[in-house]
Amino acid sequence: MKKTFITALVLALVGATFLVHGVGATEEEHGGTIVFTRPVKAVVFDHQSHMDMGYECDTCHDGLFEYATGSAEESGEFNHKSFAEGNYCGACHDGSTAFTAVLDKATGKCTLCHIGVKGLDRASGKETKKPHGD
Amino acid sequence: MKIEDLERFEKMESEGLETLPSEERRRFLQMGLAVTGVFAGGTVLSLMSARPVNGALEGISLKDYPYKPHYCMVLRQDRCIDCELCKEACVKTNHVPEYGYRTTILERELTVGPASRQREFMPVLCNQCNRPPCVRVCPTVATYKDKTTGIVMMDPKKCIGCKTCMAACPYNARYFNEEIRAIDKCDFCFASRLSKGMTTTACAEACPADVRIFGDLSDPTSRVYQLVHDPERVVWVLRPETGAAPNVFYTKG
Repeated sequence: MKKTFITALVLALVGATFLVHGVGATEEEHGGTIVFTRPVKAVVFDHQSHMDMGYECDTCHDGLFEYATGSAEESGEFNHKSFAEGNYCGACHDGSTAFTAVLDKATGKCTLCHIGVKGLDRASGKETKKPHGD
Repeated sequence: MKIEDLERFEKMESEGLETLPSEERRRFLQMGLAVTGVFAGGTVLSLMSARPVNGALEGISLKDYPYKPHYCMVLRQDRCIDCELCKEACVKTNHVPEYGYRTTILERELTVGPASRQREFMPVLCNQCNRPPCVRVCPTVATYKDKTTGIVMMDPKKCIGCKTCMAACPYNARYFNEEIRAIDKCDFCFASRLSKGMTTTACAEACPADVRIFGDLSDPTSRVYQLVHDPERVVWVLRPETGAAPNVFYTKG
């Protein structure tokens, strides 16, 4: 499902605020929005929009992802190669359940999740550096 | 000319063109054609020479590769995720200060539906133009087109810091480096890598998404050649209207 840019941004802001303050997302918000910064900056994941599609906590948090923030990133396996083998996001984002996260087939959809350094800077309130002369 | 002379000429009868010797008439016409650039293949108003347009399509000419190797870069734009590992690699490799850049990533939003927008990132760098406007305006020949590789290079010792090249560059690809008191720009990592035997730029090597593809456009076996010449593929350059004939190509997929 395509999310609007603005919604993603607002959610990214909320998510980043939690990350910055080191406060885990509350249960009421179903985990809030997560901004992953490893192995690349930065990828956004919005819990709410996934809950809205009818998924339960244990759809993903029963083997695919641990509850603790950062555990996927620390695994060293949180990447597209691993997704292609059905791990992490790749369990659903395989081109049939949801849009594919397999690198060779994901043409044009990268920025649905990838918000980049600029997205991360905005989410953390840091001003993005402008090009020369602007 | 003195005023008396003018008064004297006014009283004279016009010679008329028919009385002018043909030799003299021809010389006069030749002078006019030279000034308007017709002899140089330019348009009527251009004072500088312009090369004949050889099948150039939207700023891309795929006929001649004047350099060997003819270095170029193809950017598969829709794969860019703005992770900026390319920028980090460039900064580290070429000692780029915090206030400048040799390459950067631009961002824009595309409307893809009534209430749906999508981010798009666009890597930019020096386009190493075949007809570089920066080189044309440099008063001290501090920036020049390398005769072998076609890379637009800088000789910082000759640079007087007038920044005319910065103003002339259609791609905003130059900055003034305070430390060396000279303009600095991307040289496809020539000084830092290519001249030492490495075959690719730091940014291309660092890219995890295979966005930046660097190579020799005059080599039909190279990946850049095959991407740019693929008839199924849409390839474009930035700001083709400037006529700079850039060597940085953009494509999707």
